[in-house]
Amino acid sequence: MSPSELLTLIVGVALTVMVFSYILGDRLFFGIATHILIGVSAAFLALVVMQKVILPYLVLPLAEPNGPGFWLALVPLALSILMILMFFRRGTQAGAIPLAFLGGALAALAIVGITRGTLAPQILSMLGRFEPDQLMREAQPQWSAILGAVMILLGVISVLFVFHHRGQSKAGEVVRPVFLEGVGSIGQIFIGITFGALFVGLFSSALIALISSLSDIIQFIRLWF
Amino acid sequence: MKRPIPLIVGALSGLIVLAAMFIVPQGGGILAIVLNWVIIVAGAALLVAIASLVLTHVRFIAKGKKGFLLSLVLVISFITTLALGLLLGVDRPSFLKFVGAIIRPIETALLGLVALVMMSAAMKIFRERGWSSLTVSFGVSAIIFLILGLGFPQNLNIPVLNEVIRFVEGLPMIGARGLLIGIGIGLLLMAFRVLFGMEGFGND
Repeated sequence: MSPSELLTLIVGVALTVMVFSYILGDRLFFGIATHILIGVSAAFLALVVMQKVILPYLVLPLAEPNGPGFWLALVPLALSILMILMFFRRGTQAGAIPLAFLGGALAALAIVGITRGTLAPQILSMLGRFEPDQLMREAQPQWSAILGAVMILLGVISVLFVFHHRGQSKAGEVVRPVFLEGVGSIGQIFIGITFGALFVGLFSSALIALISSLSDIIQFIRLWF
Repeated sequence: MKRPIPLIVGALSGLIVLAAMFIVPQGGGILAIVLNWVIIVAGAALLVAIASLVLTHVRFIAKGKKGFLLSLVLVISFITTLALGLLLGVDRPSFLKFVGAIIRPIETALLGLVALVMMSAAMKIFRERGWSSLTVSFGVSAIIFLILGLGFPQNLNIPVLNEVIRFVEGLPMIGARGLLIGIGIGLLLMAFRVLFGMEGFGND
C-alpha cells in the first residue's frame, strides 16, 4: 500500500467513524463530519460552476468586445450584478428581478418537460395496453392482458383519488363521500405496495453502503493487527 | 402586495420560453439565447447562495455563537478546497482524488446510517399510523420484495410461480404511475401559478 493510499484509508476511516458516532448519541464528531462534507462540496460546486459556466459563457464573451456574444452576455451580467446586490439590505428588491427571470423561465421549462416527459408518456403507456392487438391474439381475447390493463387503469385512478381532499365540512372536519373514501382506500393499497418496493430498493442500497463502510474499518484494523 | 417589475420579468421570460418551444425551429435561436442566460443566471445564483452560506458561518464565528466550532470546520474545509482547486485546477486527478477521499467515505457512511434509520422508521410507521390499508400493504409489499430480492423463489424454476412473480413485480408500477401523474398535474398547476405571478416572485 502506497503512502497516499494509506493516507486516504486513514482519512476515510476517521470520517466514517465520526459519522457512525451518531449511533452512540454523539453530535460533535457527527457534526464535524457533516460540516466538512458541506464545506468541501460547496467549494467544489463553486469551482465547477466558475470553470464550466461563468468563465466560458459570461467572462470569455465579455473579454472580446468585438465578438459575437459580447452584447448578448451583457444581459446575464446585469442580472448577475442585481443578484449580488441581494447581499445588501437595500438591494434585496433588485435581487427579485433575476430570481423572477429564473423562476419564469424554469416554470415554462417545467410545463413543457412535465407534459412531454411525464404526463403524456405515462398516460399513453397506460392507454396503450387497451390497443386491440394487445388484448386479442388470433381472434381470441387475452384475458390476462385485459385484466392487467383494467387493473392498471383502475389502480391509477384510485391512486389519484387518494389525493382528492374535497368534501363536506362537518363540525370542523372534512368528510369525504363514502364512494371516494372506498376508492381512496384501494389507492392507498397501491401506494403502499409501491412504497414497500421502493423501501426495499433503498434499504438494500443503504445496507450495501453500510457493509462497504464497515469493511473499510475492518481493513484498516487488519493493517495494524 | 405584488411588485410589478419582477412580475413582468418573470411572466415575460416564461412566455418567451414557452412561445419559442412551440414555434421551433423559428424560435430555436431565441430559445438557445434565453436558455444560455438561464444557465448563467442559475450559476450566478448558486455562487451567491454558496457565498451567503459561508458569510453566515463567518458571522457565527465572529460573534462566537453557540456551535461556532462547527462553523469554523465548514469555513476551513471550504477555503482549503477552494484554494487547492484554484491552485491545482478542477480537472486535475490529484484534486479530484482529494475531494473524493473526503466526500466518498462521508456519503457512504451517511447512506449506511440511512439503513439503520430506515429500519426504525419502518417500525415507527406501524406505531404512529396503526393498522391501515396503507401500512399493511406497505409492510406486506416490503416483506415480499425483500424475499424476491434474495432471488430464492426465482431459482425454484416453477413456471406458475414465475408467472406470479412477474405479475407481483409489475404491481408497484401501478402506484408509481398514479403518483407520477398526480405529482405531474400538481407541478403543472404550480408552474402556471408561478408563470402568472400568483405564486413565488413579485410578492412582498
